[in-house]
Amino acid sequence: MDRETGRQLFHLALGIVAVLLLLHFGRGFMIALVFFTIIIGTLLMNIRLQGGRIAVISWFEERFERSDAFLPGWGSACYAAGVLILLTFLTDINAIAASIVVLALSDALSTIIGRKGRIRLPYNRNKTLEGSVAFFVSSLAAWYFVGPTAIPLAVVATIVESLPGLEDNLTIPIACTLFFLVMP
Amino acid sequence: MDAITALALSINNPVLRMIDLLIDNDFFYAALIAALVLAGENRNEKRLEIFTILAVVLVAGVIIKGALAIPRPCTGESWCPTDYSFPSLHAVAAFTLMIAFLKKRTYPLYLLFALFVSFTRLNLGVHVFVDIAAALSIALVGYYAVDLAWRSTQLRMMRDIHGS
Repeated sequence: MDRETGRQLFHLALGIVAVLLLLHFGRGFMIALVFFTIIIGTLLMNIRLQGGRIAVISWFEERFERSDAFLPGWGSACYAAGVLILLTFLTDINAIAASIVVLALSDALSTIIGRKGRIRLPYNRNKTLEGSVAFFVSSLAAWYFVGPTAIPLAVVATIVESLPGLEDNLTIPIACTLFFLVMP
Repeated sequence: MDAITALALSINNPVLRMIDLLIDNDFFYAALIAALVLAGENRNEKRLEIFTILAVVLVAGVIIKGALAIPRPCTGESWCPTDYSFPSLHAVAAFTLMIAFLKKRTYPLYLLFALFVSFTRLNLGVHVFVDIAAALSIALVGYYAVDLAWRSTQLRMMRDIHGS
């Protein structure tokens, strides 16, 4: 398994765990958990940036982080920040769970399938039509939490995910948050 | 009320209360933030970038406050601020400052400062924990977005200079 596939599967597993914890313990618990995870995570990033080495962190970094990351651990930090946006801005547990499904499942599948795709998007040569189709179809899994609302949610998230030059782990949660805040 | 907010509220100390009120003062807090930027960063260009990011995230915070219009937990009390609760702008500024120093050796101090400022907001009773957590996410996203724009602007300017 290559690094990017491993990274996406790691994010997918994290997303599933996050949804299960959210449904079991509730929003308040999850906000505290993700908040303190980010705080401890940034402290570990700082230790790493100062040249320090923590065996467990290095193991994760070598397997699940992009080699061209903005900062060591940046991808995971953005992912956690994205989940924190959903948890703090949205109050409906189903809307939060649906958005985490889109972030975790669809982003992972679209990357894994999209990398094997052949038809490049005209406005973003780094993404493929196959990847966007995989993203849209897998986003419909959010139906389990929000019903037919999953269709417009999937459309919005698919468009945002396909845009160039932005960090998906942040733009997808922001798009989902705006969608649920604006939606009547 | 959540457990973290209740815990922070339960701590009753007159010295802490004085510090809470001092940090609550906008002029004092703005001066403190400015002093911490100037003390922690020697490069003028980086200082300018941090102040720009702080300005942008605070404006974003004000817009979000107005748009979501979530009332403060102290609403109804005579001393309660008149604006909305979500997110905490004090925490937004503190967390933005913290992230700006992520690559520095002094980062743990800025992290402790941000956590302490957040604690004072809860201890004073003007915010709940979700306001603080949202402030962290806004600071992270805001810092990343403005830093990215700042870098690309600098790159464009350098290309223009070399081009001419």
